[in-house]
Amino acid sequence: MEHVLEVRGLVHRYGDHTALSGVDLTVDPGECVALLGPNGAGKTTLVANVIGLIEGQADHIEVAGGHPRNSATRRKLGIVQQSVGFPRALTVEEIVDGAAIRRGQTLEAASQAIAEMGLTGLEKRRASELSGGQQQRLQLAMGLVADPVLLILDEPTEGLDVEARRRFWDTIRRRLDAGAGVLITTHLVDEAAAVADRAVVIDRGRMVADGTPDELRRRLPDRRITMQTKTPASVIRALDTVETVEVRDGRTVITTTDSEQVVRALFALDPEASDLTVATASLEEVLIAITNHEEVAA
Amino acid sequence: MNTRIFRTELRDEILGIVREPTALIFTVLMPIAFFALFATIFGDEGGFGIESLATYGAFGALSVVWTNPGVGLADARERGWLKIKRADGTPLGVTLSAKVAAALPYALITLTGIALVTRLTTGPMEMTQVLRIIAMLVLGALPFSLFSLAIGARFSTNAAISVLNTTLIPSVILSGLWFPLEMLPTWLGQIAVFLPPYHLGQLALAQVNGGPMWGHIAYLAGITVVGAVTAALAYRSAKA
Repeated sequence: MEHVLEVRGLVHRYGDHTALSGVDLTVDPGECVALLGPNGAGKTTLVANVIGLIEGQADHIEVAGGHPRNSATRRKLGIVQQSVGFPRALTVEEIVDGAAIRRGQTLEAASQAIAEMGLTGLEKRRASELSGGQQQRLQLAMGLVADPVLLILDEPTEGLDVEARRRFWDTIRRRLDAGAGVLITTHLVDEAAAVADRAVVIDRGRMVADGTPDELRRRLPDRRITMQTKTPASVIRALDTVETVEVRDGRTVITTTDSEQVVRALFALDPEASDLTVATASLEEVLIAITNHEEVAA
Repeated sequence: MNTRIFRTELRDEILGIVREPTALIFTVLMPIAFFALFATIFGDEGGFGIESLATYGAFGALSVVWTNPGVGLADARERGWLKIKRADGTPLGVTLSAKVAAALPYALITLTGIALVTRLTTGPMEMTQVLRIIAMLVLGALPFSLFSLAIGARFSTNAAISVLNTTLIPSVILSGLWFPLEMLPTWLGQIAVFLPPYHLGQLALAQVNGGPMWGHIAYLAGITVVGAVTAALAYRSAKA
């Protein structure tokens, strides 16, 4: 299968600071890749390279079948960027119509994109008067107007309320089903993990993990056990494989690498223990563990 | 396709000016108001004939094209709108030429206002001469808008306003657009020939006094090329 995004050996420097050092990344048609990492990891620099705003040194970089610095290539992309503002004077309709024209699309496509992002009724409103969430939806409408082969979304749900986020993810799923690739950066890691086929973690300019969300979760073997028990924390802490014990709101929270063994031991100590839950690590916890402690091989 | 994109960009630029006209009121009306004031005070002493339309008109055209494209670009850059345009694949030449073209109608309004004041203070003028002056000033103002864009691509909005305004007035005075160069100290007057506004004023003045034009046209054509390259380089390297 031909990738809709392929980056090999991307290096980007700002003066003496190396923001990206040899990053590889691919996205296939119909695939959603979540690009994760802490602030300053290099995500936005990577996205800026992929959409042609800046140009680092790469062994190979190809987006939607062309080079990202090529205007014609960029017109095939749907892009949502961070920290953008709209002209004070233009209306929603004028802005999306303009996006359609720049990409060689019809004004009908612009109307459809407005409707798809739930902006119907706001067409004549000046974009600068919209709420932050509405402006974010407007930018996504501009991105969708080209029927893009690749959506590149940098913190796209920033400022969206719950309903708007649900609508946003529905839209992304529809585009994925239709064969578009999606590259998304977001700090709502677990929300992205629900949709992403693959998560790529970068830290300090280097790729430190690449796999499905489940594969990444398995890299952090800890399980969290929560229960109500009369057994003192000091006794639980002494059990094999127990790593941490805390009491929160009357419930005991235990992390362990072997939840089955610990649960058996806890019920042996306190047969009346109740309200038991066992959870795997969230992707956010995995991300913190990976970027704070160690590199995880892809 | 680029024609369609250009039309849309031009429409957006003009709508931006029409719907948010505050800044333009200053650049369009100020030269007309100054000219009316000078003509009223000094009109009786002569010297406010059609020649003034040429020289003061050059200042009027410059006040629009020197400030508005650059300030508009700096504002778009600060807002992040430029980042969207660049990521959209909008061709560089289209973005820049739309900003330049959008300023020209407003230069025309300023020149029409100055022409009306000239008509009121000096009596009837030959229409073809007036039209030739206006045409030369509008076309000759193009390179200045390119340098304006270069400044807008490099500076913040407030800094661009400061840079553009503080360079405009001294350069038009030293170019003899406000007062005849003879009124300046000789050494100061000799600087004029190196300043682009001088050549714009002389080109317009040649439509009245039949003076040589081609040297000024060549000079302005040369700085148009330099301005286009400077604007393109500044835009490409600008932080979006």
